[in-house]
Amino acid sequence: MSRRRLAAALVVALAASPRARTQAPTFSARIESVRVDVLVTENGRPVRGLGAADFEVLDNDVLQQVNLVSFEEVPLNVILALDMSDSVAGERLDQLREAGRAVLGGLTRDDQAGLVTFSNVVSLGSGLTKDTGAVETSLNEAYGSGDTALIDGAYAAMMLGESDAGRALLMIFSDGLDTSSWLSADAVLQSARRSDIVAYSAAVTSAGETPFLRELSALTGGTVYEIDSMKDLRATFVRILEEFRHRYLVSYTPRGVSKEGWHRLTVRLKNRKATIKARPGYLAGGS
Amino acid sequence: MRQARLVFVSLVFFVSFVSFVSSVSLVGQIQSRTEPVAPDRLVRLERWLKAVDQHTPGERDDALAEVGSWNTGELRNLWIDANILVKLMRNLKAARFEVQPEGQRAPSNIGYTTSQIRRLRALACAAAGVLVSDPVCNAMSAANDVDAELRRLSLHAGGGTLDGDANYILRRGAILHADVATLNPPAPVDSVPAPLSVGPQRVRIEMSDGRQTDIRMSAIHWEIAEMVLDHVKPPGADKPAPGRDDMVRQWYRATAAWMQLHEEHDTLHLDRARRIFPADADILFLSGCQHEVYARPAIQSVLRSAVLPSGFSADFESSHAELRRAEGFLRQAVALKPEIGEAHLRLGRVLGLLGHHAEAVDELRHALTRLDDDQLRYDGELFLGAEEEALGRFDAAREAYRRAAALYPGAQSPHLALSQLAHRNGDRAGALRAIERVFALSRDDPGRDDPWWTYHKVQARDADALLEALRSPFVTAAPR
Repeated sequence: MSRRRLAAALVVALAASPRARTQAPTFSARIESVRVDVLVTENGRPVRGLGAADFEVLDNDVLQQVNLVSFEEVPLNVILALDMSDSVAGERLDQLREAGRAVLGGLTRDDQAGLVTFSNVVSLGSGLTKDTGAVETSLNEAYGSGDTALIDGAYAAMMLGESDAGRALLMIFSDGLDTSSWLSADAVLQSARRSDIVAYSAAVTSAGETPFLRELSALTGGTVYEIDSMKDLRATFVRILEEFRHRYLVSYTPRGVSKEGWHRLTVRLKNRKATIKARPGYLAGGS
Repeated sequence: MRQARLVFVSLVFFVSFVSFVSSVSLVGQIQSRTEPVAPDRLVRLERWLKAVDQHTPGERDDALAEVGSWNTGELRNLWIDANILVKLMRNLKAARFEVQPEGQRAPSNIGYTTSQIRRLRALACAAAGVLVSDPVCNAMSAANDVDAELRRLSLHAGGGTLDGDANYILRRGAILHADVATLNPPAPVDSVPAPLSVGPQRVRIEMSDGRQTDIRMSAIHWEIAEMVLDHVKPPGADKPAPGRDDMVRQWYRATAAWMQLHEEHDTLHLDRARRIFPADADILFLSGCQHEVYARPAIQSVLRSAVLPSGFSADFESSHAELRRAEGFLRQAVALKPEIGEAHLRLGRVLGLLGHHAEAVDELRHALTRLDDDQLRYDGELFLGAEEEALGRFDAAREAYRRAAALYPGAQSPHLALSQLAHRNGDRAGALRAIERVFALSRDDPGRDDPWWTYHKVQARDADALLEALRSPFVTAAPR
């Protein structure tokens, strides 16, 4: 669901506690506003300096009045959803922790981070907090054991992102196939259509094994990075964070469209040709 | 082309180490040929007979250790020689020494020498318990050709025969090999060689977390046990008829359950069981469970990508096709034994996965009226919730998920389901409240048990008891 109060997104922050693991998500009020994270690039480089007047947004082919565009200045809620199944142990676990620490180290003091780990067990390592040290502690305590409930874990992490009105980046790491989720991929992808979280993924696997992550990223305007080795994970996570910071947050209040159902989004620049990456749409209303 | 069998092993809870074991049999292509016999083979056969006699079922004793130490090549030869031996036990005058493994079009002649044939007959006299009572054995003075251990074995076997059951070596042999397979850690084996012309071979594909981790040859204890059981003559029968023998039925049921409990699913084991017992509800139920398991992503992923040795193939199909197979077996099981609530539960689950949601709801509701086990009731409520949700009956779905959550408060799946259900209905606050219940659970909480994680093997939870019941008469009573 993409409708939420942007003003709240800019001010809501959770108080940090000594042990982030004990923090519970909080909830935010929402109004009928839609926001879309948009990456604008030319020749692979982010385009800076654009304003609301530069963007054209069509909601189900109906031109909308863009009323806010922000770039970089909006704090982030970064949710790490990390695969801690059997296959992540020893050096691989060290590399995963190192990649997570690199993300935490790249956050500003206004950003928040949260941690969800999953094997067959989905576990909240840390709720959203500005205390990145607490998140890092949880990260250091996490270990690999069990099967892989990637879909369950991704859903839980998405909900953690939705527990706060901030601008949410979901960073998923998985090194394998989902083997034990209860939730179906279709159900979680349907939830993703209602969420304005942007999901990026890093997967140590071959392309054929990541249909869920590819669809999740495509639906939310993110990207899947398929990496050959865990050694590449740190650089990939840093790259994701960097890319996300260069995205525009475009907001509008929908007019002339139904309140229910699937809304196809088209985002483009008015007087400039560039590569635009954004969610393809959003789902409004129930079921 | 050889056809393969499946096995899946989960060594430790949470540490899922899955093993796809492929036992193979020859199909076509192999021409009739004569296999030479090395001199030491009948020595091993004799040691095998003694181990069968001396093994205490269920114990890790010296007999089990010895048989468990034999390598795949030695076991393959044992399969051939024991095959000939049990045929001689049934007909001491037999003069054709051929074996024809399952799936092989033409028999292979085994080229025993004259002295080896004489030795085989003497061993068969002992194994049949007729060392001094059968004219053929007396004519060849078989009793003088065997040592004291074999004479004692003959007495044990003859005692069983006097009680009306002439299957001493066959029954105990099957139990010995089942014990080796279930109690003895798999011995290291070589990498996969080229397919052999005679005798079964087993290729073991190990998996972990949805990935293949190893492929190698594996010991053929199950194949030897199956082969000897094929020759069981029930009391009163004049020829082998394993399908009329309750111990054979128990053996297949218990061993198949053990394989499923330990995720060592063998693709051909239950096929063979069904050929022998085509209308056995328990075997059909386990068959349905097996194919339901094969439809799981973790298995499908590995089997789709597994590179089997040249000449081998595995008998598995797509997820949908495996579910259809499961549906067929489970329908037969509930038709034969409608009172098995667990079969209705499984059938309901499979029907749901096949998209038949309304029928799935009926089956699951029916199952829930018959189930009194909390774990199975939890599974039933969870599946019922999913099917009600698929039918758009969200209130009923919510109630079913809540009943599942009440049965296992430490389980995450019902809360995930409730959260997702609320989210799909636009109830974000409800979705977050439900996910908070998941987040409130500590990863390391010993009470954090979700039966969903073990659904794929809960049907075999009584495997150890079944094995114990199978062994029991052979431990406490006089030799059978």
